[in-house]
Amino acid sequence: MSAAAALTIENIEVVYNHSVQALRGLSIEVPQGRIVALLGSNGAGKTTTLKAASGILPYEHGRVAAGRIRFFGDDIDGHPAYQLARRGLAHVREGRHIFADLTVEENLVAAGNALAGRGSGDIDTGKVFDYFPPLRERRKQVAGYLSGGEQQMLAIGRAIVGQPRLILLDEPSLGLAPLVVRNIFAIIERINREQGVAMLLVEQNAHVALGVAHYGYIMENGRIVIDGSTDKLLNDPDVRRFYLGSGDDGDGHMSFRDVKHYKRRKRWLS
Amino acid sequence: MASTDTLKSLPLPQQLLHWAALRPHDTALRQKTFGVWRTDTWAQYAHQARNFGLGLLQLGLVPGQSVAILSENCREWAFAELGIALVGGITAGVYPTSPAPEVEYLLALSEAPIIICEDQEQLDKVLLVRERLPHLRLIVIIDPRGLRRYDRTGIVDFNAVVARGCEFERNDVPAAAAATLGPRLDDIGLMVFTSGSTGRPKAALMSWRGLGAAAQGLNTMLGCGPRDSLVSYLPLCHVAEQMFSIHIPLASGAVVNFAESLRTVQEDLRELSPQIFFGVPRIWEKFHASIQTKLREAGGPRLWLYRRATASLSTIAAIPRSRWSMAQRLRWACWYLVILRALLNYVGLRRCRVAISSGAPIAPEILTFFRLLGVPIREAYGLTEASGASTMQPGDDSPVGSVGVPYAGIEVKLALDGEILIHGDVVFRGYFKNQEATREAVDAEGWLHTGDVAAWVDAPGGRELRIIDRKKDIMITAGGKNITPSEIENGLRFSPYIKEAIVIADRRRFVAALIQIEFESVSNWAEGEGLTYTNFRSLVEQDAVRTLIQQEVDAVNARMPQVQQVRRFHLLVKELDHDDGEVTATMKVRRKSVAEKYAQVIEDLYV
Repeated sequence: MSAAAALTIENIEVVYNHSVQALRGLSIEVPQGRIVALLGSNGAGKTTTLKAASGILPYEHGRVAAGRIRFFGDDIDGHPAYQLARRGLAHVREGRHIFADLTVEENLVAAGNALAGRGSGDIDTGKVFDYFPPLRERRKQVAGYLSGGEQQMLAIGRAIVGQPRLILLDEPSLGLAPLVVRNIFAIIERINREQGVAMLLVEQNAHVALGVAHYGYIMENGRIVIDGSTDKLLNDPDVRRFYLGSGDDGDGHMSFRDVKHYKRRKRWLS
Repeated sequence: MASTDTLKSLPLPQQLLHWAALRPHDTALRQKTFGVWRTDTWAQYAHQARNFGLGLLQLGLVPGQSVAILSENCREWAFAELGIALVGGITAGVYPTSPAPEVEYLLALSEAPIIICEDQEQLDKVLLVRERLPHLRLIVIIDPRGLRRYDRTGIVDFNAVVARGCEFERNDVPAAAAATLGPRLDDIGLMVFTSGSTGRPKAALMSWRGLGAAAQGLNTMLGCGPRDSLVSYLPLCHVAEQMFSIHIPLASGAVVNFAESLRTVQEDLRELSPQIFFGVPRIWEKFHASIQTKLREAGGPRLWLYRRATASLSTIAAIPRSRWSMAQRLRWACWYLVILRALLNYVGLRRCRVAISSGAPIAPEILTFFRLLGVPIREAYGLTEASGASTMQPGDDSPVGSVGVPYAGIEVKLALDGEILIHGDVVFRGYFKNQEATREAVDAEGWLHTGDVAAWVDAPGGRELRIIDRKKDIMITAGGKNITPSEIENGLRFSPYIKEAIVIADRRRFVAALIQIEFESVSNWAEGEGLTYTNFRSLVEQDAVRTLIQQEVDAVNARMPQVQQVRRFHLLVKELDHDDGEVTATMKVRRKSVAEKYAQVIEDLYV
């Protein structure tokens, strides 16, 4: 495994409250400048993986019990979250978690804390507004009154302010209209291309995630069941059936009428 | 009321009526639905079974015809089987895991006019092949969810069949009574499909006399009674589970508990804590692994205590319990209170009186482990054609690897070439519409030729049987040496890191093997070693994993004579699967299909 990868997770095991094992023997790698998608159903452990990488597990009674996590080759397991943010690891959490009482601009300024000890320390809100024009119009507004899509833009914008080298994105499509989702993913792709920032993207919406990602992993019950380039995953019959919702015979979406009361057994051949 | 002796002479279906009259309000069956155990009394069991049978008669079943059941184990399975039996039909169980083409083959073979499907999943398979099955007229469905948009021609609900039976009885009581008198002892009661690991499956026919003899004979070893309970979780289409879920309970009045599914059997077992538990080696290995993993996760004082207990008891675990000295008993009792009791509660075996393993040889370490816990596992041997288990270790002082002695009513002898021959009521009545195969299996004097080669070994209570291999599987190398592949394969399988091994040697220069790793344990090992992998294939392709398996192979080789040593092996990058036709429904390897599928890989091993 190359030392140059933006993020390398090796065989980690995560335990909550000393008793509940959420991840076991999980390994993934995010190469520099690439988008990697992490897909899976509810409770598979995707969010936990991100939390383990960004160092916020201890705030939720979680602990990395085994394995290694490396950020650009450095061992970062056990490092506090704020230090990782200052080293350029941004985490856009599920449910956005913006400061609802502050204005858009204040939110971005607050995120500038991640720049402490790096470069000039200037907060480049202009760059954020270039990517997300709607935020420019609303920069004096209280963030709590933004629409869901705009809040998601703000959450991603806060990450960009910190000039990250790696962004962990947790369910950016959550609760958003399809059109807004398409819009945001187009911008995510642009940010990746223009800024060269690596991204680990957790999504339930496999279609959009595999639309922008270069590589994908699929998780179930705390382990990876299949991984590969986006092309390979898009052509895998099990991925198509269970994550992309197409029928057994390949093309064409399945009608809800044809949904069975049973699940076909998953085998994840590779 | 029938006395015990007359009861024994009754065919098993009539014994159901006997229990229903004797203990109508006692629990006969339990099934977990939505997390709650629901019970059926003997009276309800008999009522449902009888009316289901009457309903089938109304729907055109003719006595002597077979009815197929395609379902996981559930109370309806038992109702249906006994209902069919009471009206003189024959039950033919099909594995719920069988893919549609196999279902088609078995249904055509059995010529069943009626099939009982569990749910939409099973129904879909049958509908896929229905038009190619001229005999099939009617489908009964147990769980009708999801069928709203289906064309229901020729499909009826299970409950509707029972209701029809009830109505018939209300209208004509004497006719209903006459129709449900039950079979005679020499009627055929059950059709069991052989696993088909060597060829296509055949339908073995069992008489009630044979099934009754097997149940009673087996129970002389188990000592099962009305206060005992059993768990039904292995496929009921297999003759072994038939014995433990249907026939032994009918012969003894014990309670049967239907586990929610094979996946939840561990949780269900914890709640039930049965007195008798039958498992295949795979299940026992799973229990062992799950205890080990939990202890490792618990860590700290608990793990320390466990290690102390194993260290302290390791010397006496090798000795049969019956020969423990007073001091040894005391030592065990102390550790029992400290930790073993909790472990037994965890796996649900604390009240287990008789634990049985059958189907394949079990690793000696697993036997030692359970003996240490206080649950000595007894190995048994049997085959479909002899109505299930024929021999079983009589106590816990049998030598490791023996399959014990035949129970009363069965004669066993070895032919000159070591083949096991069985004689007695339990021998089956032939393969359905396959005279030729029947003649090959049973000779003119009624001896069943099992096709298994065995030897007698000395045991404290006399001689016991030890299985060597399938007669057909014995291979001859290019050098003319005889190889018994199962001996090598079982040796390899005993390794915690190897799940399946297929030996190749026939007409070859040396012995080679295809090996499938045990994903669970190898991945744990890899995590401990700091190896990075993502899925099954990427794990198998690690050099370190190859080295690990090489060590395991070397260890087995060290115990084998030169000619039986595995010189080369290939690690399978995919798990063998029933859906791919590589293993049978009972996870037995189909050598021929594997040999064809991996022909290139095998050739490469001999380059």
